[in-house]
Amino acid sequence: MTKRHAMALLSLAGLLVGAYLTLYKFGYVGRLVCNISSCEQVQTSRWSVFLGLPVATWGAGFYLLVLVLSIVGLQPRYADSRVLSSVLLALTGWGVVFTAWLNYLEAYVIHAWCEWCLGSATIVVLLFVLALLDWRETRQLREIDIAGAAQ
Amino acid sequence: MVKTAKKSSASTGATKRADPGRGRHPGVVKAAKKSSASNRAFYLVIAVIAVVGIAALTYAASHPANGAAASPIDTTLPPVQSQGYVMGSPSAPIEVTEFGDFECPQCGRFATLTEPDVRARLVNTGQIRFRYIDFPLDIHKNTWNASRAAACADQQGKFWQMHDAIFANQDRWNGEATDNPDKVLKEIGKQIGLNTDQFDKCVDTKATQAKVQAHWKLAMDRHLDGTPTFIIGGQQIAAFLPYDQFKQMVDDAIAKAQAAKPAASHDSSKAVGTAPKPTNK
Repeated sequence: MTKRHAMALLSLAGLLVGAYLTLYKFGYVGRLVCNISSCEQVQTSRWSVFLGLPVATWGAGFYLLVLVLSIVGLQPRYADSRVLSSVLLALTGWGVVFTAWLNYLEAYVIHAWCEWCLGSATIVVLLFVLALLDWRETRQLREIDIAGAAQ
Repeated sequence: MVKTAKKSSASTGATKRADPGRGRHPGVVKAAKKSSASNRAFYLVIAVIAVVGIAALTYAASHPANGAAASPIDTTLPPVQSQGYVMGSPSAPIEVTEFGDFECPQCGRFATLTEPDVRARLVNTGQIRFRYIDFPLDIHKNTWNASRAAACADQQGKFWQMHDAIFANQDRWNGEATDNPDKVLKEIGKQIGLNTDQFDKCVDTKATQAKVQAHWKLAMDRHLDGTPTFIIGGQQIAAFLPYDQFKQMVDDAIAKAQAAKPAASHDSSKAVGTAPKPTNK
């Protein structure tokens, strides 16, 4: 399994988490499965909405985008695409920044934690690490290509 | 060939990725084909996970009370009486109590989706008496304002109209929408035809705070931990209930009540046909 396979699987897991929280936010799921934290407190706080949409919905959109790009990246013609690696790195980097802000809010503003959000944060960090490794790998390949062309 | 040799000296991962990406040499094309085959297996795995995930989400959405189980009420506590707001016939065979929070999304969903059916089919036909008791949760910033405003409307005999309007307009006055909920609640009071002088004064002076606190204490005494919590006969459940599930629990409770008091069944069957109008208490 390559890094992009792993990214596709992780982003699919994140997409399902985002979809679950979105369904809750729109009232289609009665009660969140939440045994060790305060999911409802976080999900009903004023910070659970960003630019008019639930944060969970933005998250689902983010994961969907990463999933699509990861699957595209599995195609032989894009396997060592530097552009694709860079986009994935930038996207997941932004995801880490946004997640860090959300975790800050949970810790210092809302004073409550949501285990689904923490799960999502873990996925985002793993995606970023994989994207970084993938990006370094494509850079290596590019250097090899350049060296090969020179000879 | 020099290039291939160079690639071999690169990291293993890079070599694996470089081959299928190129497709310029016979060996590489083979690798790409192999990769496509393994990708197909991977897509199958992704599709299976997606289908299972969608099925789980569909299940969660179609079973809103999933994870919440009805449990017997604590019989050592005195029955809830003369508190909250009641609609329905005093002779109804059972009473249903909702501990609700005006700012809770699931309470709003119950009020707007399930409750119209509950009133038309169960309350107005005399099968149940419905009681609403405030349980304002700490996590909701503006919910106390809403409970006080509803109690103020009750002073003018319009609790249920205010109850419905507050839930219907939840997104206008809740903690995400405004830092000044009383302003919106006063507009709502005006819209439902309250005497605005009297109502606004009641809201501004927090005249009904003690009443709401008494209701809140009823919930705390019962160690409730979420809203909406329904007490239906001898069972309580903390979850949004769609009508079918609500009706099922009501039917079970009525059956138990009638089994416990066979002589009372005649009276309750009479009550079903009386279709009393909702009343405030």
